[in-house]
Amino acid sequence: MIGPGSTLWLLGWEIRMAWRGLIGARRGKTRMVLFAVLGVVALGLGFLVAIPLRGVEMPVNTLSVVISDVVLVFVFTLMLSQTLAMATDALYTRGDLDLLFSSPLSPRKTLTVRFLALAASAFAAFALLVTPFLLPVAIVGHLAWLSLLLVLGALALAASATGLAVAVGLFALIGPRRTRTVAQVLAAIIGAAAFLGSQIRNILGGSGMNSAGQQVEAFASNATFHYPPIAAWPLRAALGEPVPLAVFAGFGIGLFWLVSAWLSRRFAADAASAQGVDVGVARTSSRPPGPFANGAFAATFQKEVRLLRRDIALISQVLLRVLYLLPASFLLLREAGSHQSLALPGGAALLTFIAGQVASSLTWITVSAEDAPELLAASPAPATQLRAAKLAAGLAPLVVLLIGPLIALTMMAPVTGLAATLGVAASAGAAGMINVWHPIPGKRSEFRRRRSGSLLTGIALLVVTLFIAAATALLALGNVFSVGAVIPATIAAFILLLLRRSPAQIAEALAANA
Amino acid sequence: MTDALVLEGLTKVFTNPAVDHLSLRVRAGELYALLGPNGAGKTTTLRMVAGLLKPSSGSISVFGVDALADPAGAKQLIAWAPDEPMLYDRLSPMEYLDFVGGLWGVPPKEGRERAENLLKFLGLWDQRDQRCEAFSRGMKQKTALAGALIHEPRLLILDEPLTGLDAAVSRQVKDLLQERVRDGATVILTTHILEVAERLADRIGIIQSGKLLAEGTLTELRERAGESQGTLEDVFLELTGEADALPETIPA
Repeated sequence: MIGPGSTLWLLGWEIRMAWRGLIGARRGKTRMVLFAVLGVVALGLGFLVAIPLRGVEMPVNTLSVVISDVVLVFVFTLMLSQTLAMATDALYTRGDLDLLFSSPLSPRKTLTVRFLALAASAFAAFALLVTPFLLPVAIVGHLAWLSLLLVLGALALAASATGLAVAVGLFALIGPRRTRTVAQVLAAIIGAAAFLGSQIRNILGGSGMNSAGQQVEAFASNATFHYPPIAAWPLRAALGEPVPLAVFAGFGIGLFWLVSAWLSRRFAADAASAQGVDVGVARTSSRPPGPFANGAFAATFQKEVRLLRRDIALISQVLLRVLYLLPASFLLLREAGSHQSLALPGGAALLTFIAGQVASSLTWITVSAEDAPELLAASPAPATQLRAAKLAAGLAPLVVLLIGPLIALTMMAPVTGLAATLGVAASAGAAGMINVWHPIPGKRSEFRRRRSGSLLTGIALLVVTLFIAAATALLALGNVFSVGAVIPATIAAFILLLLRRSPAQIAEALAANA
Repeated sequence: MTDALVLEGLTKVFTNPAVDHLSLRVRAGELYALLGPNGAGKTTTLRMVAGLLKPSSGSISVFGVDALADPAGAKQLIAWAPDEPMLYDRLSPMEYLDFVGGLWGVPPKEGRERAENLLKFLGLWDQRDQRCEAFSRGMKQKTALAGALIHEPRLLILDEPLTGLDAAVSRQVKDLLQERVRDGATVILTTHILEVAERLADRIGIIQSGKLLAEGTLTELRERAGESQGTLEDVFLELTGEADALPETIPA
């Protein structure tokens, strides 16, 4: 059962490899200590939430049922987005599959474990979030609420099965060459779907900015609405009622077992036929190549832009963040004409914040994710010039993306437009400079995991962009309160000053990382 | 005539010394093979020369340019090609050469002409607009070599340039290196394929534990090892003392 070659033995290896990937090859102890500290802090916060809940019974009424169903759909879409992207990656990236397939283990067993790993990854992301709160709640008397973890596990299995089915379905429908791109983009859209759905009123128009919570509350308080009994099952399962919980667990396990049994042979065949097709003889352009670049800056800028354009995984990840920009952009452009005093500064701040996040992703790719660092180090071009070119290339897509909407906004509402332009430029610039000062070298393929590189830098980026967004909001008010923008702007500048590193310090940090 | 490369007391200490007070001279226009057992310090030495590692002590002079005081000036004269090609999978060979040419400040028109010549010579012209991701190891190695040659370096440093190449590609690379030497360039290479060093190298240096053990032409090394008719492999094993370490019988 657990001997070498068994499913559990193989799963143990998968978990061991995933754990090593999480804690990293270097500074593993530091990360474990950091995780432990974060865990203790989260548990402390969890107890603060749990103690008032002692003796409180969760009512199963229209509002709680609607909220739990909405959350269920939201979590499922996020899990599906993750498992679809991972299943597609598994199709195209052999990794250790060649080794495993060349062993006497049955391919079906190998793939079942690989599929389970997809589910485990989706489960772990949410379990890590809820466990610090769920454990204290269970300790203070709601032991049955731990069933939420089983519900999440069942959801993860169902999401893994659905992601696999979609990946294999796409492979059959549109062929190996297009599947990777379409699946990555689809994963991004699914990931953003729940958020966009909650913002549909803002996108399509409506009276003012309603939060998702307000919309759910309004829906649930409608006296004519009666939910069918099955709609309450997710909530009842999470609260530990045996029958709904068994049905939920059975559904997740059953769907996973069916899909993995049905598709593992097909998946193995698809994975084999995907090899080389994705990378085929892709020609870069049918046009004759233009003149060579003149100098190191131009050559590096051009190379980074070319690589960005051709990075499918990156495009899907950036697309996800761009989708989050949509509601803010629509809101801003819609409200610009009506000069609503609160919606405009809020939208400008949101745009500023998300622009900083997008800029951070793009500049990490161009500045840190260098596949041939030694080529650059061996060249006579100054490192500062190369970094400047990489920074410019990382920020260029954001300029292309936002210049039109910002000009339109400035024409319709000059104060908001100018504030948003300044805010976007400042937050994107700050995000880029943080990546320059604190590079986290890695491969482009590590993009999804990059936030595990430096927690401190990630937090600093978040805080700086939040303060810049706050300054933007105050500036966009266009009244006497705008003077207050100086305070968050100064705090952001001060944090940036603390983070600043000289070229020599950057070189030292890179050498220490090498 | 200025030496192409002069190392004086070059030392690199990690936890233990990887390169230990190494001094050697490579003459301009020669093909110099640096040999040594695994972990002898060959790659560390070459990485310091290429400006990728800072020495703990010692000096490096490239055609009279102090590589530690003026790294950019020295790098301008050098090309470095490691055993793992430094490529971008999503760039075509032409785009790669465009980029590398830019890094070394090759004028655009000249760079294009050189790229065309190199790709034609290496048999990559028909694939010039295809992305490198689908290339075989040999094609990738050739693309990287073209990149190393695009700025016409005076000193070409190659770390295991023939690893994993088939006979035809290996022959092409060797021909190219010999042609560059005929044109006046200096080539330093490390290799574990001793026949390559035996056939191509004007002089051979053998290092062990970061120190220069012996240096000279093959004839000089044979004399020193007392192997007047031996192959370079015999000489190498004798000088490094690895011949004694070999088991007398092969275990069943």
